[in-house]
Amino acid sequence: MSNLSIPGSQSTPTIEAGWDSGVLSMHGDSYPENSFELFGKVIRWVEQFLSATTLPFRLELHLLYLNTSSIKALMDILDLLEDAHHAGREVSVNWYYDQGNERVAQVAEEFKEDFSFAFSIIGKAR
Amino acid sequence: MESFDLFAMREACNRQKIMICFNGPISKSLIEEIGTALRNYLQTDQVTPSEAMDVFSVYIEMTQNIRHYAAQKGYTDQNADATVVIARAADGRHVVCAGNVAEQEDGESLLQRVEALASLDKVQLKAAYKEQLRKPRDSTAASGAGLGLIDIARKASTPLLISLRQLGDGRAFISLQAVI
Repeated sequence: MSNLSIPGSQSTPTIEAGWDSGVLSMHGDSYPENSFELFGKVIRWVEQFLSATTLPFRLELHLLYLNTSSIKALMDILDLLEDAHHAGREVSVNWYYDQGNERVAQVAEEFKEDFSFAFSIIGKAR
Repeated sequence: MESFDLFAMREACNRQKIMICFNGPISKSLIEEIGTALRNYLQTDQVTPSEAMDVFSVYIEMTQNIRHYAAQKGYTDQNADATVVIARAADGRHVVCAGNVAEQEDGESLLQRVEALASLDKVQLKAAYKEQLRKPRDSTAASGAGLGLIDIARKASTPLLISLRQLGDGRAFISLQAVI
């Protein structure tokens, strides 16, 4: 399988996924009008990775503002990880935020509440 | 031709501390451009990053809801007509308002949903938000303004204000206002 590389724009994050590393990263703001046009590809990649390999999977998030459409799409990705986790797969999420913006940490905390896999919220000094 | 009284417009904008005011078809890229200007203004005003994100978020949800609604109704031109005002309010807060023309019955159902949300406290709003987040996608797409509306209510510091003005052709102008 191949890597995934989607360049970012004003309203969409930069998305990179490595088949060999098992790391999916997203950087930036996410407020596209139709988030499923964007995240559909990412969701399919994660599904394929989880079904075709047995490698650990890590999601590295450097996301800032997410509109509700993006939140719903991200929830779909995290649901896949939860299922994989229950099936014994090693999965984890690291969500990095700027300590000057606690709202990002609150959004991350609300996601974390709904999942039982390793989910770290990591504040970085400005 | 009627001349434009720009001075009166300017005075009205200044008096009401309007930062951004827009009326007309709002495209996807225009939402982004106005949003960027809004972020810059908020930064200049030394609003904290968290508060700035809340104001920006309410603006995005309101305007994207208007575009989703117009697309769903098959309104012309791919562009939704919207009226948007963002202003500074007392004690460092901000007001985001957006208006659009809708079918009367859709306006009334939105009014009922806004009034229902107004009776919920922050904890109940969070529960409603999580419940909506877990609903299958199709049902939320059909109703429109599902998760977005609750998100706006959660970010607002006072209950949302909504009004409908009947236009007499089975349509109404919806005006939605949030103080953040």
